[in-house]
Amino acid sequence: MKVLTANRLTDGEVVFWRGGHWVERFADAEIFAADDPAGQGAEAVALGQPTVVVEPYLIDIAEGPAGVAPVSYRERIRALGPTNEPEHGKQAEGGAAIEALLAATGAARSTGRVDLIRRK
Amino acid sequence: MYRYDSIDKAIVEDRAQEFRGQVSRRLTGEITEDQFKQMRLMNGLYLQLHAYMLRVAIPYGSLNSRQLRRLAHIARTFDKGYGHFTTRQNMQFHWIKLAQAPDILDSLAEVDLHAIQTSGNCIRNVTADPYAGATAEEVDDPRVWSEVLRQWSTLHPEFSFLPRKFKFAVTAAEHDRAAIRVHDIGLILHRNDEGELGFEVAVGGGQGRTPYLAPTIRQHLPAGSLLSYSQAILRVYNRHGRRDNKFKARIKILVAALGAEEFARQVEAEWARIVAEQPDADLPAIELARIRGAFTPMNFETLPPRSAAFDAAKAGDRAFARFVRNNVKVHKQAGYAVVEISLKAIGATPGDISAEQMDAVADLGERYSLDDIRVTHEQNVVLPHVKLDDVPALYAALEAAGLASANIGLISDIIACPGLDYCALANARAIPIAQSIAQHFADQDRAELIGELKIKISGCINACGHHHVGHIGILGVDKKGEEFYQLSLGGSGAEDASLASILGPALPANRVPEAVDQIVERYLALRQGEERFLDTFRRVGMAPFKEAVYAEAH
Amino acid sequence: MPKLIRLKDGEAFEAQDLFADVADEDAIPAGPVILSLTRFQAEGDALIGAGQAVGVRIEAGESVEDLAYDLPRLALVALVFPKNTDGRAFSSASLLRQRLHYAGEVRAVGDVLRERALFMMRCGFDSFVPTDGSTPAEWAATAERYRHVYQPAQDGRTPAFAERL
Repeated sequence: MKVLTANRLTDGEVVFWRGGHWVERFADAEIFAADDPAGQGAEAVALGQPTVVVEPYLIDIAEGPAGVAPVSYRERIRALGPTNEPEHGKQAEGGAAIEALLAATGAARSTGRVDLIRRK
Repeated sequence: MYRYDSIDKAIVEDRAQEFRGQVSRRLTGEITEDQFKQMRLMNGLYLQLHAYMLRVAIPYGSLNSRQLRRLAHIARTFDKGYGHFTTRQNMQFHWIKLAQAPDILDSLAEVDLHAIQTSGNCIRNVTADPYAGATAEEVDDPRVWSEVLRQWSTLHPEFSFLPRKFKFAVTAAEHDRAAIRVHDIGLILHRNDEGELGFEVAVGGGQGRTPYLAPTIRQHLPAGSLLSYSQAILRVYNRHGRRDNKFKARIKILVAALGAEEFARQVEAEWARIVAEQPDADLPAIELARIRGAFTPMNFETLPPRSAAFDAAKAGDRAFARFVRNNVKVHKQAGYAVVEISLKAIGATPGDISAEQMDAVADLGERYSLDDIRVTHEQNVVLPHVKLDDVPALYAALEAAGLASANIGLISDIIACPGLDYCALANARAIPIAQSIAQHFADQDRAELIGELKIKISGCINACGHHHVGHIGILGVDKKGEEFYQLSLGGSGAEDASLASILGPALPANRVPEAVDQIVERYLALRQGEERFLDTFRRVGMAPFKEAVYAEAH
Repeated sequence: MPKLIRLKDGEAFEAQDLFADVADEDAIPAGPVILSLTRFQAEGDALIGAGQAVGVRIEAGESVEDLAYDLPRLALVALVFPKNTDGRAFSSASLLRQRLHYAGEVRAVGDVLRERALFMMRCGFDSFVPTDGSTPAEWAATAERYRHVYQPAQDGRTPAFAERL
């Protein structure tokens, strides 16, 4: 499964794609099946929005112990906030969706990020 | 403190104005992200994991109270109420909005601060000895020469698009508190046998992927020739430094490829031509004198070398005595001391300081330190000119602000880059590792028993956390998608500079504090007399420590 | 036809580019031409002898010193920015002006952005073929953003230390 993410141009906020617009919570992100061309389609649209977002890319997500979460810890940190300041960033909101991200432990490279670096 | 004149102010204002225009063109889509990236980086603005990050230059780590209060104001108004001091004596704000960045630069400009050239492939903020003007060791004030370099390197017409970033460090003391040997150019101010002021010039040091200690290419450069000689070095580098591979583009690679001798020969040849054809390549004596005179005079009082109040507090208060042992250093002026403020409270994020703490330090600097405040490359703050009589009151005020940690130079005084908690380049987190080691060594008696031990942690190979020059260096690596930490031993960024060697295979995060403990225990068992960890390591070598960490793992 | 911006007596204006930029594999047309350094060294003498105006294109990795004895005969020197972040041409321009005393046209070609106007003008460039569609007015405005400069350079602006006297 995949989710499309980027940073918003005006403030750098981590955002996720949901049906044609950008949302701030990972829990609200649209989930694409790994082989669903709609994911690439959304990425192509996002690449055409240079005044909205910076560097959109698809990330891998997987079912964790308490719900879906990004596979790579880098992307989990982006979806949560810095681990040294639990009151900063998206994690401050708390709740089940945040708990699900915190509970995820699987660790792998952020493939979308690697692709992005390769693309440059 | 160098006081800006109307010209210095105008340049900083014009820069802020220019950046406002560039941001506006980016927001409207007139320029692309790729084009804009160059512009925002030249103004210290990065896009990190959670937001934009703004790196504010603190030239040679020197601030006055007004400037520090303004940084506090920015932390409160535009960030989440804190800032982060870096290993380049700068301050980073981690939660910046692009649309507000121009307002921040305007606000900084009002107090003669800026973010000019805090990123990009240009000459970066010049760093210097944080004890400048306060230590008896120095032959001249390195801040004067750092300011000469700051002005010369600002928007330099020829050297703003170098193969890679370029960092100067300046000291005038034997004890190196500026990591001179791991800079692109390290300058050591001294007097030769004839008593003339000059620089020993070391070129081609650096950390990162391929660390090098800078070799000296000239033993004595007359001080007044600093700019023409720098021009020669930069010109050779700008023309011949590699541009085909980002990882081989720093000047250290050029110096290593040519050999220090051949590099020096090319620089000397270029310098001779510059001096012959360009009479204004160096500043005239009158401008050097003006810059020197633009620093606030230090009006020290004539005081007895000992203070009864200070001695009494030391005798009567064990915590204060501990603070004095670790954080209070000798000043050149009788009756004064240099006081270091640790930003390494046990469990805290190294280098982080809250807006309230910034205000508190600003007040204390104004009241007790001739309005002079310094930042160290070890991510601490210094009040350089405190009367011994005032140290007890200063200590009490620091305690109230949560800034009285008595651990300067000890095992819990850890350097760490922001790592993967913030940085888009990082492979692993650095801050939580620092926190867990500091917590492990929270016992202050034990920390003092261990003595000077510098742990430096980087979250990636770029080495912002200076792990190559840590007595114990720790590098975060990504091993098949998991955070691992590679330990290395025996580095030093001080006058006895050396590069650390790798201890062995990388360890998972939860093994790191234990491994450090095993290294420390082995050191305590092996040490002779007053040896520091580094001395023992240099005497006995790697093997006993390797055995301590890896043999017991089975 | 790419736009050519020229700078004269502090004024920036759009000029007609009379020069044909000739690739090494192409035949040399009549009229003013710009050649690579290699081609110039092979064929320049003959062309100049025949009265043709010749300029030389210097790549970022080439040395302007190689032109030292030819400069008085050249119609212009074009310095290539292979990428807008490649700053070698700033040194080349400075050397042309300061060390080789070249007074003719020094043209910025390649990835030329108006954001670099100040640096280019300060190093002695006086003509530009921008790749960002910018206008002479924008070039002039960019170069004038700073009321003061710290360094002496090839544009003759008074550096801060001299202003302070």
